[in-house]
Amino acid sequence: MKNNKKTTVLPYLLILPTFVFVCIFTIYPTIASFVGSFYQHRLNVPRYREPVFNGLGNYRDIFASADFRMILQNTFVYVLALVPLTILAALFFALWLKNKRFARLRIAIFHPTILPMVSAATIWIFFLTPDYGLFNQFLRLFGYSGAENWISNPNLALMALVLVGFWKEAGFYMIYYLAGVQNLPEDVYEALKLEGAGPLTVFFRFTLPLLRRTTLFVTTVAVIGAFRAIDHVIVMTSGGPSGTSTLLLYQLWKVRFENLNIGQASTITVILVMVLLLFTISNFLLNEKRGEK
Amino acid sequence: MPKTTMTLRMLSILALAAALFTGCQKESSDGPVTIKVAYPVAVDAPVTDILNQYAEDYMAIHPEVTIETVYAGGYNDVKTMIQTTIDGGGDAPALSVLLATDLFDLANAQYLTSMSAHLDAMDGRDDYLGDFLPVFMENSYYMDEIWSLPFQRSAVVLYYNADMIAEAGLEVPTDWESLGETAGALTLREGNSVTRWGLDYSSDWPYWVFQPLAMGAGQNIVGAGDTEIYFDDEAVIRAIEYYNDLSAKYGAMPAGVQASWGSAVPDFVTGNRAMIVHSSGSLSSILAQADFNVGVMGVPGETEGTSFSVPGGGNIYMTAGLSEAEEKAAFDFAVFMTDAARAAEFSIATGYIATRTSCGENEELQAYRTEHPQVEEIQNILGTAGKEFAIQNLGEVRTIFHNYLQAAFNGQMDAAEAMKTAQEESDRALADFR
Repeated sequence: MKNNKKTTVLPYLLILPTFVFVCIFTIYPTIASFVGSFYQHRLNVPRYREPVFNGLGNYRDIFASADFRMILQNTFVYVLALVPLTILAALFFALWLKNKRFARLRIAIFHPTILPMVSAATIWIFFLTPDYGLFNQFLRLFGYSGAENWISNPNLALMALVLVGFWKEAGFYMIYYLAGVQNLPEDVYEALKLEGAGPLTVFFRFTLPLLRRTTLFVTTVAVIGAFRAIDHVIVMTSGGPSGTSTLLLYQLWKVRFENLNIGQASTITVILVMVLLLFTISNFLLNEKRGEK
Repeated sequence: MPKTTMTLRMLSILALAAALFTGCQKESSDGPVTIKVAYPVAVDAPVTDILNQYAEDYMAIHPEVTIETVYAGGYNDVKTMIQTTIDGGGDAPALSVLLATDLFDLANAQYLTSMSAHLDAMDGRDDYLGDFLPVFMENSYYMDEIWSLPFQRSAVVLYYNADMIAEAGLEVPTDWESLGETAGALTLREGNSVTRWGLDYSSDWPYWVFQPLAMGAGQNIVGAGDTEIYFDDEAVIRAIEYYNDLSAKYGAMPAGVQASWGSAVPDFVTGNRAMIVHSSGSLSSILAQADFNVGVMGVPGETEGTSFSVPGGGNIYMTAGLSEAEEKAAFDFAVFMTDAARAAEFSIATGYIATRTSCGENEELQAYRTEHPQVEEIQNILGTAGKEFAIQNLGEVRTIFHNYLQAAFNGQMDAAEAMKTAQEESDRALADFR
């Protein structure tokens, strides 16, 4: 009896440090942002320096603003373009390079991951220079003759960010897939070979389903990572031209530290957390359901 | 039994962690003072070495003061750090170098302490303040108090390749028209592609490099008051149209927004651009790399013979919430850093403009100016400089202005329409401050 009690205390003790950290750095700030989002709180306006209750005013203002709607749209476009692209590429690289003799190529593809995003973005500014920039030179090989000023073109700036995000992240997610691919049961593949299954069947009916958990993990991490993108926005475009490459987190930083508008920054935080929470939960539930089948 | 030991161990680890945590809390004492100085590294110069040397020199004279230098990235990073540290109740840097234009918002938010009390208590206050170039002090006053001291200051200038202009038998531009024509004539084309542009007029730091154009047309975008803006003024609109004409009419540069701040200097020194509009802070780097005669001037205005500029760069601010002893040490070190001899040295080493009139008496700076007359020229250009865009609610208003300015540059909106909207939105953003 006595012994039993002790065994139930220990696990709680073990998670206590993590729990305390999560409470202080995740749960408390989330609740504080949620509460803060109902207040008009602007440090640079004397009468709002102390929070004044504003009901849903911040939410109303934010969703009424065409700029903010554009920022939300930019963010979703960024995520929806970047995540599938990186995951497909990561899976492709993993399947291609699963053999040990490709170890060097793996390093080549993995290396952008090691660079800090700020350095990567700085390098890419020069790759993307109009006229003589490497990227435009490269595109010209394929007969591209369109706009070259990627960073300053309202239609291309966001794509330039996607490009850098892709270059930077694909190698990182490849590692997860490599681990997944190397853990696939050899005997199943031998059996499939004996049965004479075609490569497409093998891929879609066996490899992909067997990598489902890896994919779930990678998608979750990639989407959250994409929503948190900010470094290359600051370095490359500063959200411009005319806000066409402003992403949610960059806007959050601007509203809080440039505009000193704490109420509105809290509101954006709540929106960001909600979107991520919704995504993570639905992604998880969907996959668990499929797992039960 | 082992589980009991385990539990005990866990508990002791936790206790130790708690003890360490409380042990790390800051001690406070009345004896020696330690102050931190936060500094952004914004140019390609050995500023960290120079600043560390200042700190060491100061500590040698004042052994009771310890100065810790903090290099926290660029201007924005320092500004963000100050806010997070103060909000989090942490040990904020006592002094920080922030943009001269950051004043209103940060003072309103009570992140800053005015320096007036300390200045008033100073011997020779008027001589000290009067020695700073007046244009650099313009961003230091708010609510009848002085909040910052000019430190690393620059200005917008036009650099030109004097050899290239002479070889083509052209003259240095004197107004908008001749700037466009000269730059157009210096643009080289091979078939459909351009091998050299006559002008690189970056649109990074959009408001800053644009201000000389607006002033050249007769109206700065900002007035003397702290909520006074002139975005929809006819002159400002004309300045945007001129910027667009530089590509459309004169063929002197690529069309649209130019994200060329980083590539402009390398392009200029390698002869890929005949003229560039850039910060005076790039002068040292340009002189060190260029193998041709570098000319420097203000940005020509619409009227013949006029040229304009606008100051930029950072001032030293004192943070709010310091103890009396910290404030005293911080202010004293700020005065030490802005000393005329140091300002002269700093100017030579970094390319920033010497902030004080008496720097001109410094022999090393005199020798440097004789060797590089461009340095003297930049000092003269400051005479034509107007007020840098500083205003209440700067973050928001600046974003609005940038968005519409870029929309007009990129041809998404007509200049007049863009500036009309910018003015309306900015007026709304300023309503709380008027």
